Amino acid sequence: VAATEPGRRLRRASRRLLVWLLSAWCALRLSRIPRLAHAPRPPHLPRRPEEPGPCLRALTAAAASLPMLAPSLADAALDDEIVTQYSRYQEGDRDLFGVKSLYDPIQVDTLHQSVRGTLFDRVRLGFDFLQDTWSGATPISTAPLPLGGNRPTSPDGVSGATPFINGQLFFDGDLNVLQTDGFGNPTGAIDNQLVHTISSASPETRRQVDLDLGYDWDAFDVHGGGGVSFEDDYTSGFVELGGSWSFDQRLTTLDLDVSYTWSGIDATLDHDALPYIDTSAFDGVIETTASGNRILRDSRQDVGTQLGLVRVLGPKSLVEASVGYRRSWGYLENPYKVVQVAFLDPDQQFLAPPGGFYGDVRALLEQRPDTRNQWTLAARYVQFIDATRGALHLGYRHFRDDWGIAAHTFEASLGQPLGRGWSLEPRLRYYSQSEADFYADYLVSDQAYETIATDPDGNIVSITPYDPALLPPQFSSDHRLAGFGALSGGATLRKAFERGVALELSFEYYSHQAGLELGGGSAGRFADFDSYTISGALRFDLMALSLEDGIRGDRVAHPGGHAPAGLVAAHMLDEAGAFMVGYRFVWGHRSGAMLRGSRSASDAELVANACLPNACGTAPEEMDMTMQMLEIMYAPTAWLNLMLMPQFVDMSMDLRQLQGGVVDDHSAHTRHSTGGPGDTRLYVLARLFGAPGHEAGRHGLHAGLGLGMPTGQVDLQFRRDHQEDRGYLHYGMQTGSGTWDLLPSLTYQGRLRRWSWGAQLGGVVRLQDENEAGFAFGDGAQASLWGGYALTPWLSASLRGAWAWEDEIQGSFEGLQSLTTPPDYAGNYGGHFWDAGFGLRVVIPGGIFRGHSLAVEWLQPLATDWSGYQLERVGELTASWSLEF
Amino acid sequence: VTARVVGAGLLGLALWLSGCAPVAPWQRGVLARPEMALEPNPTQRLLREHTYLSREAAAGGQPGGGGGCGCY
Repeated sequence: VAATEPGRRLRRASRRLLVWLLSAWCALRLSRIPRLAHAPRPPHLPRRPEEPGPCLRALTAAAASLPMLAPSLADAALDDEIVTQYSRYQEGDRDLFGVKSLYDPIQVDTLHQSVRGTLFDRVRLGFDFLQDTWSGATPISTAPLPLGGNRPTSPDGVSGATPFINGQLFFDGDLNVLQTDGFGNPTGAIDNQLVHTISSASPETRRQVDLDLGYDWDAFDVHGGGGVSFEDDYTSGFVELGGSWSFDQRLTTLDLDVSYTWSGIDATLDHDALPYIDTSAFDGVIETTASGNRILRDSRQDVGTQLGLVRVLGPKSLVEASVGYRRSWGYLENPYKVVQVAFLDPDQQFLAPPGGFYGDVRALLEQRPDTRNQWTLAARYVQFIDATRGALHLGYRHFRDDWGIAAHTFEASLGQPLGRGWSLEPRLRYYSQSEADFYADYLVSDQAYETIATDPDGNIVSITPYDPALLPPQFSSDHRLAGFGALSGGATLRKAFERGVALELSFEYYSHQAGLELGGGSAGRFADFDSYTISGALRFDLMALSLEDGIRGDRVAHPGGHAPAGLVAAHMLDEAGAFMVGYRFVWGHRSGAMLRGSRSASDAELVANACLPNACGTAPEEMDMTMQMLEIMYAPTAWLNLMLMPQFVDMSMDLRQLQGGVVDDHSAHTRHSTGGPGDTRLYVLARLFGAPGHEAGRHGLHAGLGLGMPTGQVDLQFRRDHQEDRGYLHYGMQTGSGTWDLLPSLTYQGRLRRWSWGAQLGGVVRLQDENEAGFAFGDGAQASLWGGYALTPWLSASLRGAWAWEDEIQGSFEGLQSLTTPPDYAGNYGGHFWDAGFGLRVVIPGGIFRGHSLAVEWLQPLATDWSGYQLERVGELTASWSLEF
Repeated sequence: VTARVVGAGLLGLALWLSGCAPVAPWQRGVLARPEMALEPNPTQRLLREHTYLSREAAAGGQPGGGGGCGCY
């Protein structure tokens, strides 16, 4: 299977590395830019990346004692900052004892945007947007190795099938598990080895938005906020309220936080495993949908509180002690975990080995208590080290709950400035937990799973199920409730550049081992795994940016100088040495009728013609696409600009069964989604006509040439489903193009008083005939014409007319591919589109966000002429933020 | 015994804190350094806590909400 070939992985990894190197190069350029000679630098900041001189140090000390600059001494890192951070969590393979899993281990891509800023005098704002997409295989249960849960499906010992969670086990008289030969007969040898039963999952995306507002008095501050988190099977929302009180000349701070969380679970139980899972304990909350899916719907609630005391011990050390309590109630299980129970049915013991037992193994959904009370006691200590001028952080946290889990966490890190803006923070963490009272690898129960009574003629009179009272009241084999220890370590390297910009790279390695548990491993080594996390972040210190001369707010204060938000490569920087950083969020939605060209197509027509030479079974009902792009732009000269644009994409699609179509079990899936890093673009923009500047009456013309680098994926596949491998996901749901692309463009802009106007021609040319999966997306072209009017000095509106064309896909997937729905066919891609764009742009005139430009544009489809059969478009929303400095 | 140990610990902590010398405003330059903050890097911390939350039983003790299921 393509996804697991090491060569392709290596190529993809090397492309990503190339992008990182380019990003790093781009950021490193920052450090070499000479400061503008005419601008004296105000010594204003309580924090500087460089080692401060004695004068600055004195001023810093004075500034730190001012109430408004440091609401509490411990909050120094929480000032005004914008952070954009990408990270990847990658787990290693689990040991399956002789079986190689076909599935890749868990992998999570996370994108995090964070804004902390002072809105007004004493009002603080915090905003976070977090998105993670995860995919890969995960344990569904724990079982003795002789059960063969990860039974190989091919002769080479590779397991790719639905996991086996029902079966038989033979025990000796002491309930030791006996090995079996290839035919299922006990050999007499004992084999108590446990193993995780691994199951795969299709990719899934979660999004979380948090908002927090705070107000500072001289000695008090309060903050309140909340957030929501969405994923297909889990929705949650929380509110939080907190405050702090500083006294004793601000040397002591008391913090109190309370929070409430509500979560709803909508878990579609695995269709393949479901016939083998006993769900009887939850039948009251499991719903069966019309399409035959079984969905577990329930909820949970959490309240938490934490009281902390921060105390400055001296000029170079401080300590924090805190206590926390959290109560959770409701559905606290993991709906995807089962516990295997070996039922020693008295009527089946004729199958038992001499002196032993025969076990009929069944899988039951795990059952945890309905409430959980958790307490924490924590302390942190920070000490400045004169010898290295670094800060040593030590922390300890004790956790205890009424499930019987006690945990200890020890943490140490060293924040070490290295000079010239560089700093390094090595970290070490040790964690140990004891197992929950109700944790069990698997259970043995001295009763029949079901007793069938028959009359003398052999007709079934009654079926009596097992007695749940003879099982423990709660049980789980989730390895997170087992006893284990974890050792992790890593480091963060940061380079702070001039103008308040910093680049950060971080790495952490994590090793989960039963043997690391304090006081000895209560679980076996079968659950051991390791993982690593890498992350990269760009940080912008708003305080530094707004106070220094660097910000170009004066010059961009007129919002009419920009093209509408939906256009890429439409803006150039005016001055040599200038930078721009932007973030763009694009959401496109499609739903409604399936169209053939421009007219709506009936189900009968779709079945007959949209999947030729086959018959369609399903059609898309709704499609969502979001793209997040980071734009880093630099002007080596006034007439030539460079821009690097990494992208992060995710897509989801709902399918519906077509009337008269081939019934496809797969359509029973409520939704499928993909996500992750997309292709990365590198642009060169050259000014062809017109002097730089935003003065009224100017005309400007610039050409752009972009290179699209195939850093996204084109080999994403469905998970195995309904006992069948499904192969490649639809072309449009791959996260990249897989080809190197050229993106030429030509942009004209003009301005007169409050009016502005412009035009852009652009295109995409695929430089390769096919990508590694065997196809290439079609070439494309687009043209836009717009006009804008400045309603106020800081707000402008724009109207845009746009035309676009995209060619059909060339080639097709080489290899197994699902072929049941129109988006599976290369001919059903591309078309001609006409749209109207309505845009607004604000350039913030003052305050800490001065010069920041925020823009939105809604692209409303006017006419569409699709190639083949495709779903109607609803529109596209672009929201962007940018800052020049 | 546990209560006595905790009591003694709290008493010790109280004595330790009360023994601190006052720190004048001009002596607070070091404390204002970014790496001296109790939480020097909140975004990194959030990322790590989220990973721990989905892999360990004890990470959920914090007051904050959100974070999703972490059911994998």
